[in-house]
Amino acid sequence: MRAPQPAPRTQDATAACRNERIDGARWLVRALVAEGVDTLFGYPGGAIMPFYDALHGAALRHVLVRHEQGAAFAANGYARASGRVGVCVATSGPGASNLVTGIADAMLDSVPMVVITGQVATPLMGTDAFQELDVFGMTMPIVKHSFIARRVEELPRIVGEAFRIARSGRPGPVLIDLPKDVQVAGAAQLPPHRPLPVDAVPRPAEASLHEALALISQAQRPLLYGGGGIVLGDALRDFRTFVDATQIPAVLTLKGLGALPSAHPLNLGMLGMHGSRAANMAVQECDVLIVVGARFDDRATGKLAEFAPRARVVHMDLDACEIGKLRHADAGVRGDIRRTLTALTLPCAAHLHARHGAARRHWRALCQQRAREHAARYDAPGERVYAPALLKRLSELAPDAIVACDVGQHQMWVAQHCAFDDPRKHLTSGALGAMGFGLPAAIGAQLQDPNAKVICVSGDGSFLMNVQELATLRRYGLPVKIVLLDNQALGMVRQWQELFFERRYSEIDLSDNPDFGALARAFGVHALQVERADGVEAALRALLDAPGPAVLHVAIDTAANVWPLVPPNHNNAQMLDADDVASLPPAAQAGTTETTPTDAKETSHALPA
Amino acid sequence: MRYRLDLTLRHAEGALARVLGATERRGFRPLSVDGETQADGDRWHLRMTVEGERADHALQQQLAKLHDCLAVQVSPC
Repeated sequence: MRAPQPAPRTQDATAACRNERIDGARWLVRALVAEGVDTLFGYPGGAIMPFYDALHGAALRHVLVRHEQGAAFAANGYARASGRVGVCVATSGPGASNLVTGIADAMLDSVPMVVITGQVATPLMGTDAFQELDVFGMTMPIVKHSFIARRVEELPRIVGEAFRIARSGRPGPVLIDLPKDVQVAGAAQLPPHRPLPVDAVPRPAEASLHEALALISQAQRPLLYGGGGIVLGDALRDFRTFVDATQIPAVLTLKGLGALPSAHPLNLGMLGMHGSRAANMAVQECDVLIVVGARFDDRATGKLAEFAPRARVVHMDLDACEIGKLRHADAGVRGDIRRTLTALTLPCAAHLHARHGAARRHWRALCQQRAREHAARYDAPGERVYAPALLKRLSELAPDAIVACDVGQHQMWVAQHCAFDDPRKHLTSGALGAMGFGLPAAIGAQLQDPNAKVICVSGDGSFLMNVQELATLRRYGLPVKIVLLDNQALGMVRQWQELFFERRYSEIDLSDNPDFGALARAFGVHALQVERADGVEAALRALLDAPGPAVLHVAIDTAANVWPLVPPNHNNAQMLDADDVASLPPAAQAGTTETTPTDAKETSHALPA
Repeated sequence: MRYRLDLTLRHAEGALARVLGATERRGFRPLSVDGETQADGDRWHLRMTVEGERADHALQQQLAKLHDCLAVQVSPC
């Protein structure tokens, strides 16, 4: 099969349009180029056809996905990995509604996107026309902002504002609903598009910096709690400098992973429901919690009222809404995180060897000792593949890879066992937890950097939610490597049913999964398989050495669980491990339990941290 | 607690719906809504009475984040 080539990108869009009639759609294509857009992801249809006509021969690369949700997630992955605005396009009605989950994901994880939807012509709007849907109304709670362009003259303002809003402050998705008659309306009178500058990031107030410094300098057991706001604020280097200068231990959220290299001696790992013991214990015992670009998400805090019970809180965030939203901030520093960290680094470091120096050293040593004592173990008995060990090895073999994952147990194993040195290399649907995210996000990540090594880690449930995008991989010859961890179940739901629903396994059995190898091959994608632990090394090497896209199907134990686990409505000190499963209530009586091969007690992979 | 909200909005499509939606989503029940456009027609002045148990400053900050919200004041009533 010969893959279609992207449109030539060296063409001068202005020259190309000089001799053709300029309509709204063609003006928009030029405006996208002016905004720096090089790639957009989409799927054509009736109400967006003029825009697709304008794309023909334009200096933009359009990636044709096989479902609009794939377009939204691909643009999302492109934006997460690159830091640039991701753009996706769909037609009205079902095309637009299929984008919704990807837009919501971008909103909840603060991903800059511009979403363009076709709309029926303005005279037909409000008449229940064919494929008319109020996508503007439907997406209102899940966008940073949205526009309906009812007149072609509005396009310059709307497009400029859309990109400015998407990029400024806390990023997010902006939707432009584009009626068909606006796309075809004459636009020769419109000025060339000029991108608007992003909003200035507010400087932290001096008084708030003094308050933060006062609290931090009094701390005997200080702890940093870093989140996704660090990389969004372009403060990675500043955060690391702060850690190194102050020698304060750090815990990270799911989206903060990579803000400190995994091997950094002060990195205690991820906190929260599936966080490390060292991280969660440190949070529960610290006396000052320095929150940097994080938001007290319930998966991170566990029972909020018992989270960091002994700590006074210093909260640094660009978004004022997050400060004090869920936990009172004893010192709130609103504004540019880079400037905040830079301003605090030297004064805070000065206290390192002075006030409470001995207490801080003892605290640091205790945190590090716990990190060593509770480090993950990979010496699982048995012949079957132990997913955490496989992922750890994958990470060692491809240390610079961008890893996109789906949602479920494998997502948590990736967070726990893969090493990241940059949050932009860990693409995960954090707040929304959207299954089906992984494969299209990996496609977007690969397209933003053709030289990047991109790996998608998926599960058998998630993978089938957007499996059609294998066709996109194949079409564009993208060398994304897919590790498909197949436990023949909806593993995380199964785990919760085992632990909290008395082992009444309800609708989690996927033992009738398709032959994933054959499925991949049907799309023209190379497929490999591994079923035994002693085959993992060779299988991973073969996967990574494969010249194009490839899938490694990994059969894992259905009964494998993610440990540790903080049960719902418990505090983070109340972590469960595999050993605790034995104390759970017995399985429900026969007749009320769905019969599955999954209700055996986990034994082979019960490795307490 | 009851609060009075005084808002200045862009007279843009969806501005009112965004304010009402955000207010309800963030845990406040609108009790009354009154408003008018300025003479030049590009601004809405909106007065609302709401009730809710959550922190009023959180509502104020959430509404202030809306692109079409140019000013918002929340005061107990």
